[in-house]
Amino acid sequence: MAVIKEKAEFCTLMVDELYGQLPARVYATLFQRGKLSIRLITQFSKLNARQVKNGLCVLQQHNLLFYTVDANSGEAEYSVNHESAYNLVRAGKILEMVDNSYGPAGRDVMQNLLLLGQTRVSDLVAAYQAKINLANDEDAWLDDKKPELVIKSKAQLNSVLCRLIEAELVDVIHSKTFQSAHEIEKQVHKEVMDVYFPNGIKGTKAKVEFEQKVAEGLRKVREESKTLKRKLAQNGGASKRRKLAVGNETNGAPEEEEDLDPALDPRQVIRINYEKCIVELRSRRLVQYVSETIGEMTAYVYGQVLKQLTKNISRCRPDPLMDSLTLEEAKETPSVTTNEILDKVKTSVDLTLGIGKIPGKSISKSAAERLIPFAPKDKIPFMSQEDSDDDDEDGDYSDSDEEMDTKKENGDAPVARMSRPEQLRQHLLLLAESQPGFVRHCGEDEWTVDFKPLMENLRATELDSIIEQTCGRQGLRLTRILRTKGKLGEQALQSLSLMRKVDLQQKMLEMRLAGFAHTQEVPRDNKADPKKSIFLWYCDTEQAYSGLIAKCYATMVHCLQVLEVRRQKEKAVLSLAKRTNVKGKEKDMMRDESYARFAKFLKDEKLLMAEVMRIDDTLALLQDF
Amino acid sequence: MADRDKLQILKDALYEAARDHGSDQRLFSQRDLLDMHVIPQDNLVLLIQVIQILCDEKLFVGNTTASGLSWRWRSREDAKKYTSLPNSDLMMVYAMVDEAGADGIWNRTIKNKLNMADSLMKQCIKYLEQKGYIASMKNVEHPNKKMYIKANLRPSDRATGGPWFTEGELDTAFINELQEIVFDFIKQKSTYTSLGGAVGTQGGGGGGAQREKVPKKGVVQGTILHSEDAKGTKRSAGEISNDDTAAASAPTTTTAKKMKPAKPQLLPLPAGYKSYPTVSDIAKFIHHAGITNNTTLSEADIQQLVDVLYYDGLVEPVKVNGRKGYRVTRIPKQDTRTCNQRRLDHDPSKGGIITSFMGVEPSASGLMEAPCGRCPVYDMCEEGGPVSPSNCVYFRQWLDGDEVKEQVISI
Repeated sequence: MAVIKEKAEFCTLMVDELYGQLPARVYATLFQRGKLSIRLITQFSKLNARQVKNGLCVLQQHNLLFYTVDANSGEAEYSVNHESAYNLVRAGKILEMVDNSYGPAGRDVMQNLLLLGQTRVSDLVAAYQAKINLANDEDAWLDDKKPELVIKSKAQLNSVLCRLIEAELVDVIHSKTFQSAHEIEKQVHKEVMDVYFPNGIKGTKAKVEFEQKVAEGLRKVREESKTLKRKLAQNGGASKRRKLAVGNETNGAPEEEEDLDPALDPRQVIRINYEKCIVELRSRRLVQYVSETIGEMTAYVYGQVLKQLTKNISRCRPDPLMDSLTLEEAKETPSVTTNEILDKVKTSVDLTLGIGKIPGKSISKSAAERLIPFAPKDKIPFMSQEDSDDDDEDGDYSDSDEEMDTKKENGDAPVARMSRPEQLRQHLLLLAESQPGFVRHCGEDEWTVDFKPLMENLRATELDSIIEQTCGRQGLRLTRILRTKGKLGEQALQSLSLMRKVDLQQKMLEMRLAGFAHTQEVPRDNKADPKKSIFLWYCDTEQAYSGLIAKCYATMVHCLQVLEVRRQKEKAVLSLAKRTNVKGKEKDMMRDESYARFAKFLKDEKLLMAEVMRIDDTLALLQDF
Repeated sequence: MADRDKLQILKDALYEAARDHGSDQRLFSQRDLLDMHVIPQDNLVLLIQVIQILCDEKLFVGNTTASGLSWRWRSREDAKKYTSLPNSDLMMVYAMVDEAGADGIWNRTIKNKLNMADSLMKQCIKYLEQKGYIASMKNVEHPNKKMYIKANLRPSDRATGGPWFTEGELDTAFINELQEIVFDFIKQKSTYTSLGGAVGTQGGGGGGAQREKVPKKGVVQGTILHSEDAKGTKRSAGEISNDDTAAASAPTTTTAKKMKPAKPQLLPLPAGYKSYPTVSDIAKFIHHAGITNNTTLSEADIQQLVDVLYYDGLVEPVKVNGRKGYRVTRIPKQDTRTCNQRRLDHDPSKGGIITSFMGVEPSASGLMEAPCGRCPVYDMCEEGGPVSPSNCVYFRQWLDGDEVKEQVISI
């Protein structure tokens, strides 16, 4: 499990920021040394055993650690769960997302889960019960100060939890949650070997079978965290409820239905499932992208499409080990019909907006409605797209098109009033026609999204915008030329880009330094005389990505470090603000000068944290979506 | 005597026949010449004699190809130039320049090929230049080489660099202007301008005035301007009828709730739109607009221009029924004004150097907003090093604003 240095640094700082110095020191030690037992952690971190145990406890609570018990010594060995640690930075976004789709009650529960880490259901219920009791206790609150409770009853809490579990945003902890993927794989390997292949694997056929069995075993482990969801589904409550509450999700579950939810097993321990959260965040990002490239209304429609399609997608990137073998499933990508989408679109939305209105005769129906039943094969984005897709359709379609046109012309007025499904279809067709391929029209009135090529496209767009901001539009031009045409000499580059030689050389040098372009030397003969050699420019997109990822982490680290420096600088003011008699009424209690400094610090903190979040947007796109 | 007359007649006949059978680039083999049936009884000896005369008079040029000897004809005027030259040296030099054609020839190449003394060659070139037979030229690919070309030829595109070069230099100002025009044209033709939500016209406006036009059939939903001639040219103020604005404001109230349509906005056209401008549309437009008076731009040139726009991420190709049109990218973010208008409206005193008035600013990314994204010393920045986040000047500027600047410098 290799982690780049910047990421390790960032995760440690994040732990420091959220849980304090002690866990951070333990975490840093684990990052540096790998898998360690408590004894060794004490040794390396120069902390005493009690402190280490406390630190580990906090980390364990928040699922930031993996551990294995060594069979020989009986000692537990700990290692970092860096994915989970990194996801801490996304807490704000996840809460916002939950707030949008499950209402404030959902967000409140989610927030508590974030704060508490993994929690037993009974503990969570008890905590809420205490809150409710306190609020209901009339004596404790003087008339108007009574806080508005988001969760008003245990039943509501239960219902909210059920919703979140159904959506896979929350899942259950089981014995293997605390083992790293590698560890689990090792175990499954061993089990499979013991059970099915006691005499070893012989021949290719057995090998394939072995791999299948391992994948199956791994999937089983993965499915374990979904036990609660399955139980809920078995109870049938979900489908019943869905019938009743169509289009009502955003308002939180209506109260009269709460009884329908089965009570959750109070012994179950639940936690936030980041994998699914990232899927939701990806959808949001895509919607934002559409609103930039096509328009808000289309983006809204797209949001609905994604909502339907991602219901059963548990993770953005399928695991190569577990998911590669289910090819049959992969072929049957989930699709959604126009009517299904229409059912979800709010009635207050006017679908006619957002698309230009032109007479029907200037639209080619056949081209717009073209069906693409199969997902495109892996294509490198921008690699001469123009040439690849002209094959046969040109001839075939033009004839039928003419017919369509004449029919149209004879018919109605230039801009006919369309029915609502038709209006919706217009948006979907526009999405299907778009360059990045937001949706694919895979069957008559059926739509699907090919996430892999789409995200690849989106990544390239992000890279482009970063290049444009670093090296200007000309830099972008050169990169895209190189990406489309492959390796090029300077002469060719010059004629394609219509740039002056001097400008071109300067730009290329700039890009070389920024790591977006590279050169290759091709000698003409054995002597490899540099004067005679040909120098070719090229772009290595993957390298650019990894460079950017490292830079993102480093920048986030810098932001947090600057924040720490500021915190040290304003130490006096901050400690003043922490005092119980000052807290909450800083403005009145502090002197003007101190308050100004305090306010400035808060502003800086907000700015820096917001910046970290924004960089995470880029980072998530580059490596997680 | 009769023989010579006969040869003369045959010579003329063969020359005319060859001219009828192809351009001055076509190579005729012996068989081809015989098949013209000018030479009686396919008499080879006679043919050789005739060809010899033609070659002597520089009306035929001999070539050796893989299949043997062949000839092409040369116009009488050109031939006359050869015959008027006083000596064979001049003739050889002239032949070299002539053969190089529109690409021109480097004087060193002439010298090396003819193995001629430098002074003699210079003499020859001087003579030919004075006579107006050849002219010196400049080649973009090798700007330092002294090149010569036949005086009545225009240097080839390879030599001049095509229409994008003026006097051997890439004319970036011209290219940029033209790009803006092409971009505006594509923008206008590939988007729909929504004015206050419901009423719109296709086209972003070509002149100083906001363009509106009432649809002919009284449908107040939007219209499309198909007039080929009006694009890009200024429209007179009289063309804007006053009742448009009244019509525009009437039906918008109910529909325009979500889109906040305070100002005109560009909208994408429905999928399958057939009239996205193609390269030939753009070429036609440029031609009719008469923007490029002294240079004619071919479709290939325009294609080159559009390709650059594509590489810049400003336009994207759309294929509808095999017809490849172009549309602008990120339509909702596009400015409705033309590039030129934007330039005029731009107030330089407000700061912000705008390098291009085409298209949209790149979408902001978090990485670039932080000081580190543009930091020149990013690579050596590390806690504990000479440059570190804790003493970072850029971060201080970023967080505290400009007032700290002086302080920073004084440290």
